[in-house]
Amino acid sequence: MRSTVIVTALGPDGRGLLARIAATIAEQKANIDDVSQTVSNGMFTMIMFVSFDESETSMAGLKDALAKTGDEVGLQVHVQHENIFRFMHRV
Amino acid sequence: MVFITAQEILETVHMIRSENLDVRAVTMGISLDDCAERDPRRTAERVYAKIVRRAGRLVAVADELQEKYGVPIVNKRVAVTPIADVAGSHDPAAYVELAHALDAAAEEIGIDFIGGFSALVQKGFTKSDAALIEAIPEAIGATRRVCSSVNVASTRAGINMDAVVRMADVVLAVARRTADDGSIGCAKIVVFCNVPEDNPFMAGALHGSGEPEVSVNVAISGPGVVRNVVVAHPDASLIELADLIKRTTFKITRVGELIAREASGMLDAQMGIIDLSLAPTPAVGDSIAEILQGMGLEQPGAPGTTAALAMLNDAVKKGGTMATSSTGGLSGAFIPVSEDAAMARAAADGALSIEKLEAMTAVCSLGLDMIIVPGDTPRNALAGIIADVMAIGMVNGKSTGARLIPAYGKQVGDWVSLGGLFGEGPVMAVSTSRNDRFVTRGGRIPAPLQGLTN
Repeated sequence: MRSTVIVTALGPDGRGLLARIAATIAEQKANIDDVSQTVSNGMFTMIMFVSFDESETSMAGLKDALAKTGDEVGLQVHVQHENIFRFMHRV
Repeated sequence: MVFITAQEILETVHMIRSENLDVRAVTMGISLDDCAERDPRRTAERVYAKIVRRAGRLVAVADELQEKYGVPIVNKRVAVTPIADVAGSHDPAAYVELAHALDAAAEEIGIDFIGGFSALVQKGFTKSDAALIEAIPEAIGATRRVCSSVNVASTRAGINMDAVVRMADVVLAVARRTADDGSIGCAKIVVFCNVPEDNPFMAGALHGSGEPEVSVNVAISGPGVVRNVVVAHPDASLIELADLIKRTTFKITRVGELIAREASGMLDAQMGIIDLSLAPTPAVGDSIAEILQGMGLEQPGAPGTTAALAMLNDAVKKGGTMATSSTGGLSGAFIPVSEDAAMARAAADGALSIEKLEAMTAVCSLGLDMIIVPGDTPRNALAGIIADVMAIGMVNGKSTGARLIPAYGKQVGDWVSLGGLFGEGPVMAVSTSRNDRFVTRGGRIPAPLQGLTN
């Protein structure tokens, strides 16, 4: 079964941040469906829709790997199932 | 497919990471109707077995959902059929044995509290009810996780003043018995009017007679989120502020709805209700009092507090009811003292009195909650305070409760630490005017006209 999660990353801007996160997702055998990224006043903000096959990738494994990458590059990285965003703002 | 904007995604993440948005409790209600046996020991065994069987995965499921959605689920709890209706015994010792079974089951499944050591006596006592109430001091004193509630009043039945007096005695007995721990046992006893049958919050949770075999009820949270939106709009008019609070509680409630749907499915239980109560914790920023301060009051207790609380409570409910069709439980802002650091500070500063809290009870939810009073408060004074809170619930057709802590050996102004989510607070003054002749007349305050709605 395929799952879609939303990965958000926030923190001070730096070189290669998006590349590092994208590489981690590829290593975890997950796919980037959509991504947006901005830098404002030196703050990096990224939102990424990531899907994966649950038989190949676990959400816990993906979270751990992205948290480790986030620690290395100085970003707060959060991984949450897409349903919370779909549910929270509309009936 | 629902389109999600970047702003909505970042707002959700901010509410969780920076504003203490969480799900306060996932509470599984379990019917114990089929556990009664002639032998009390056998009943206790069946109660233990059923709770462990039905709720054995509760903590694992909650943890899994927490991981999946990134939203903390703070408390996992169980509520059971009022034990007075289960034991089928007139011997208090049998009820103490059942309390131990509840405690052991709660420990086995990894939860901190289990509710339902309860009786409903608004119109009178059965022999079972009387035995359970007699057993409360021993049951609460000898267990760690068991919570007790007794419904002594309702809009339809009036106030059973004999039960009110008996519960005042029980509260004092528990205070003495748990004196070494700040009389903490009293934090696990609630006296109710119009007790809800599906309340997910401890200490008053029970699984009522109209409930299904097993249900999942969810308590939302979010005082921190509401506080932040209020503070961020210092110049908003009250109408604008009410709209902002409604929008915020809509979102909070949607999270509760999502968790309730998924948890009930995973636990093979019926989805119960979403309780819209804003419930504070002692954590900084997770406070009802700070919302009131954000609205423009220097301290809770300032003139205008009741009006501000009424508006807050109403806006929370309006936002919440748009977000779920399964409202229930208590669904109103909680105003505990020791569990809300800013409320405790206002009480210590003299800005907040028991009488003002009583007025606030008229427009919100639980009533006089987690209020520490002197250990030598007379029984009849305690009974009078309880009766006042019950009267507000009875006449207004709503649930009210009293959770009073007569801290053994403590005097007005002393500071009492209850630990953990129970928080800490000052010993508050109780009126010294005597009420003995009224309280001890016995019998029942008749149901008000409001009860005759047919």
